[in-house]
Amino acid sequence: MLALTRRVGERIVIGDNVVVTIVDIKGDSIRIAIDAPREIKIYRGEIFDAIAAENKQAAVPQATAALDILKGIHKK
Amino acid sequence: MKIQSTRFGELEVAAEHILKFEQGIPGFPGETEFAFLPYGSDSPFAFLQSTTDADLAFLIVEPFSFLPEYTFELTDEWSDQIGVSTDNPPQVFNIVSIKESLNQSTVNLLAPVVVNWRDRKAKQIILEKVEYTTKHLLFPNGLPDQTAQGGK
Repeated sequence: MLALTRRVGERIVIGDNVVVTIVDIKGDSIRIAIDAPREIKIYRGEIFDAIAAENKQAAVPQATAALDILKGIHKK
Repeated sequence: MKIQSTRFGELEVAAEHILKFEQGIPGFPGETEFAFLPYGSDSPFAFLQSTTDADLAFLIVEPFSFLPEYTFELTDEWSDQIGVSTDNPPQVFNIVSIKESLNQSTVNLLAPVVVNWRDRKAKQIILEKVEYTTKHLLFPNGLPDQTAQGGK
């Protein structure tokens, strides 16, 4: 992993088309501007983590009685 | 294609029921191929069974029979990536987190699975600027009366 020290107004360029600019620092909050192509999706880490955690919880629904009940449900 | 499944045993799955998730799914980046297994012929539920990990299966549901008001915008970037369009419309599923008590089971409305059946490609996308959560109760009004629903 690469760790860089930047000042307000300085930038980091990633690949050919992603530019990260440090806009402002207030206390322990840092405002970052990201310029990237639309097809590159950018998420706050905690949102991606929440989806990953939900998927892990949902995985492997082993034989439960609940699953058998669902089998009786048909499309409306 | 032969698939080993802890839940279903050994399965023979037709190629047209194998879905490619090119980037895996969040939490399972290495799982790029799942078999689509309908849960009965007329069920809104289905399973996604990993083709490589016998232990890994997800229960998914077609949301619109449960939540007719569920809508989201599929951006052009997503559509292009998945390869869906008005000529090749997507099918949408949501992953269910099943609990022993069915009343507590939830469905992830924030991150739907979008399927391109023509090319057998799928992707779990994360919606932005929506009110939906990862833990929407599957049966917010209690369990449906199955005998009443069966004939409809």
